[in-house]
Amino acid sequence: MSDHTFRNDAFQGAFDPTDGIAVLTFAMDKVNRINESSLRGLLAALDWTKGLPGLKGLVLTSGHKDFCVGADLEMVQSERDPARMLEAVQVFHALHRRMETGVPVVAALSGSALGGGYELALACHHRVAVDDARVQFGLPEVMLGLLPGGGGTQRLPRMLGLQNALELLTQGTLLRPDKAKAKGLVDALVPTAADLLPAAKAWIAANPKVKQPWDKGGFVWPGGVQPGTADARNLFLAASAMAYNKTAGAYPAVEAILSAGQEGSLLKLERALEVEGRFFASLVVGDTSKAMTRTLFFFKNAADKQEGLPRVDDSGFRKVSILGAGMMGAGLAFVCARAGMSVVLKDLHADAVEKGLAHVRAEVAGLKHLDDAGRKAILDRVEGTIDVARTAGSDLVIEAVVENLKVKHAVTKETEPGLAPNAVWASNTSAIPITDLAAASADPDRFIGLHFFSPVEKMPLLEIICGKGTSQETLARSLAFGRALKKTCVVVNDGYGFYTSRTFSAYIVEGAQLVAEGHDPRLVEWAARTAGMVVPPLQVFDEVTLQLGKHAITQGAEYRGKELLDFPGVKLVFAMAEAGRLGKAHGAGFYDYEQGKRKGLWAGLSGLVSAKPAETGLEVVRQRLMLAQVAEVGRCLDEGILRDPKDAEVGAIFGIGFAPNTGGPLSYADTYGLANLVRDLDALAANHGDRYRPAEAFRKLAADGKSFFSS
Amino acid sequence: MADAFIYDALRTPRGKGKDSGALYVVRPIDLLTGVLQALQARTGFAPADVEDTVIGCVTQTGEQGTCIARMAALQAWGGMEGPGVTLNRFCGSGLEAVNHAAAMVGAGFHDLVVAGGVESMSRVPMGSDGGSMFDPEFQWKVGSVPQGISADLIATLRGYTRDQVDAFAVESQRRAGVALARGAFAKSLVPVKDRNGLIVLAADELPRPDTTLQSLSQLQAAFQMLGTQFQMDALVRKAYPEVDRVRHVHHAGNSSGIVDGAAAVLVGSKAAGEKLGLRPRARIRSVALSVSEPIIMLYGPMPASRRALAKAGMQASDIDLYEVNEAFACVPMAFMDDLGVPHDKVNVNGGAIAFGHPLGATGAVILNTLLDELEARDLSTGLATLCIGGGMGIATILERV
Repeated sequence: MSDHTFRNDAFQGAFDPTDGIAVLTFAMDKVNRINESSLRGLLAALDWTKGLPGLKGLVLTSGHKDFCVGADLEMVQSERDPARMLEAVQVFHALHRRMETGVPVVAALSGSALGGGYELALACHHRVAVDDARVQFGLPEVMLGLLPGGGGTQRLPRMLGLQNALELLTQGTLLRPDKAKAKGLVDALVPTAADLLPAAKAWIAANPKVKQPWDKGGFVWPGGVQPGTADARNLFLAASAMAYNKTAGAYPAVEAILSAGQEGSLLKLERALEVEGRFFASLVVGDTSKAMTRTLFFFKNAADKQEGLPRVDDSGFRKVSILGAGMMGAGLAFVCARAGMSVVLKDLHADAVEKGLAHVRAEVAGLKHLDDAGRKAILDRVEGTIDVARTAGSDLVIEAVVENLKVKHAVTKETEPGLAPNAVWASNTSAIPITDLAAASADPDRFIGLHFFSPVEKMPLLEIICGKGTSQETLARSLAFGRALKKTCVVVNDGYGFYTSRTFSAYIVEGAQLVAEGHDPRLVEWAARTAGMVVPPLQVFDEVTLQLGKHAITQGAEYRGKELLDFPGVKLVFAMAEAGRLGKAHGAGFYDYEQGKRKGLWAGLSGLVSAKPAETGLEVVRQRLMLAQVAEVGRCLDEGILRDPKDAEVGAIFGIGFAPNTGGPLSYADTYGLANLVRDLDALAANHGDRYRPAEAFRKLAADGKSFFSS
Repeated sequence: MADAFIYDALRTPRGKGKDSGALYVVRPIDLLTGVLQALQARTGFAPADVEDTVIGCVTQTGEQGTCIARMAALQAWGGMEGPGVTLNRFCGSGLEAVNHAAAMVGAGFHDLVVAGGVESMSRVPMGSDGGSMFDPEFQWKVGSVPQGISADLIATLRGYTRDQVDAFAVESQRRAGVALARGAFAKSLVPVKDRNGLIVLAADELPRPDTTLQSLSQLQAAFQMLGTQFQMDALVRKAYPEVDRVRHVHHAGNSSGIVDGAAAVLVGSKAAGEKLGLRPRARIRSVALSVSEPIIMLYGPMPASRRALAKAGMQASDIDLYEVNEAFACVPMAFMDDLGVPHDKVNVNGGAIAFGHPLGATGAVILNTLLDELEARDLSTGLATLCIGGGMGIATILERV
């Protein structure tokens, strides 16, 4: 082997003596990951370059589609020792420092560079990337409850300025090449991958002696705000305030990013990296990042791969009929057409059809990455009609008509006979048992629940409900359909409210119940936010509307027991509906609205409540709101609605806005401690009713000293 | 006046006060928070019973701005506990804080006060708070020189040679080495930890017990250039017209080191101690301040100590151990010469030449060292004193009870 080439299990090196440039290609076995092996590999590669005669510069590139999309999360997830974590990131920091304090190094980015991968590029002197819309750059660590621990919180502010960098870091924003170039995440774009190496080499030739700006004397921070000044103080004060207003203190990573960014900005880079490392270690070993990483990365990926579920490659759904052209129906028509299916959007009323089609047109117009022909092709696949005959020959029907068993039975009977021979019937009901709906079908084995969430264009979850008769083939085809729509699917068993609606209902009804018990509604809303709930209960009640809520509660009482109707919280909702406060769409609910914009909580609310709670406060209210949901999730396990605890987590977070910072209701139970949970649920059940009764699943784990998930 | 007692005293190890020092990664507020929490944990006082938190801090700007005493008390104890005041008497601040606490307790206004000091010289550099001390206008009206020139002026006037001041420094380092070897500070050092509970610094970072006359002889006099090339030596003639040449003998090796650190001292009345079930470790017998001519500046310890002795009705020979801050080697040397105190009673475990001088904290630190050593040797009385910028001095006499 010539001295001019090099190879280990992570990096390949090739030195061209004619231009003095060594190209280091990051090429691990399958994908490039930041882990012990890649760090060792990079160290050895840098050692190799030291011996190269006449070395003028390095180009760092990738042998895979992506440059590197982050650290090895298995490694991070299993670490509970902050000392070891700190040591590990300090190795990473030292490598980065070595790279940025020697010959010019250019990152040639043919694919995405995210997280630790992007941090490697940040420690280069120059970043040149291919202008390809499929590629992304950025530091998304905050989404998993972490901060970028490889220098990201320190180099990015020094490169982009404090404000720009902290916005990206606290939101975990990923940017396509054009935006990344505009923000300064990459320095130059080239049209194709073939242009990368020449551009990188040209930059080295033009910049034979380089120093990182922060290593030069008199470094002036970009963006105008210099650390330690009154401007910086004001910036951080506002940044902290805005972050708190968003997180309500539920996201330690956001706080750590701002703290590390601020403190590090006052220090020289080497030691600022140490400060970052200490923050990083504290987040890595904390429950929040463990729970978030487990659910939002590992469980989400497993769900997207549909692990352990029956599989067919093709759903066979070419022609899809959507029954009901409301918000949901219209949204479904759009997403199905976008995914390449022919769509019939059918309603009883022509004006509803027209409204639905208008929605589809508006959505299609928003597809900026397509040309006119591409947009037209999607629109051409959608047909609106009031004629049931147009649904003939459909491979799939998604029924999205009003939540009424009789109406749904009627449309099934009307529509089913004309469908293609092997057609699947899906109901988008949010609650009515699929088995009951399938009673009207000639083929209950091809009858299934596909519970989409509104707005369907944005909401990532699809809750798939198997009725008693639903066949494995029908499930497999529905899962393939979910993949085609790029939805994250969870499969659950049948029962009123399935999984997500039951849990969601437990949340908002408990919100109303707390108000009815005399707890301050402002406290109820804020308590939910401090727990990390995406939308507080009264606000979200208004959004689904009290009218729908009342309908669902009445219907639910048929299935789950009339005692629900005796709840003070339910009575409050009924009284509000009676008083015309039907929710946001009606301009009045728990909140007041002006021109559709939410104002303050309705002052008249207190007039409907005379009760005074024995005990109130943030802790009390937060515990009630969270444990009411957790208890309901426990019953979903006991009753076999949930097939796998993982589904509880993915379904709650991606479907109904359950606090992402917790990792999901069962992760919440784990962090709470099962023994503590059972004790507190028993106490709450004794004081506030049977809805708090702890599930057998909880009791068993508590007795065994176990938890649902290991970290 | 009622008695004011010291119930306990703690401090952080001192880290090198530069960007390679261990404590450079620790915010000054966190240095102070750590010792406040440790003091509370060790003595068990209820934060609500603390009537004030009096903290010395010299460079009250940047991260040491906005009344660090109150900010640290809030961090340490949460809620609304612990009022706080940050005071600046230059290098005497840490001792001033203790004396102030003792005065409030002695007067009967307070029963329990936490005193102490903090200075992160690596993060908030000395002099970065600006000030008017070196303004031309002040120069014409009063006169001021950099402290090192004051120290060299003392050496010049007293005939201290470079070898003599270096010998004092070597002895300070040697004593520090012996003290470290026997764990003399173990009782009072609180390791500085990070947010993970990982130790950032557990032992003083600065001492070099192997220092020799030979190794010090390699160092350039630090104020030679300021004195001669920038002609600052000329300024001393405002007060010392006969001094036509300043002999520059002080340097980094025989002056106090620049370090980061914090200290806390629990001061209280008899009743406060009884409530806590704590035995007082010492009584504060007397305190004093003094002034000296401001260009020579560093002559304060002698008049301050004489005054404190007089107030206590004592002679210099009645004091068992002294701590005289080693701002520069010539300061304790002049002190010993003037008060006739033997070296074996002064700075017996080394001083700021070996360990460093975290400006606002040092007074509380040396009081702590003094108390520990009185206990270790089972002696009774001790005096701590520091020279202070602008020509002041401060002294405190302790008596074990």
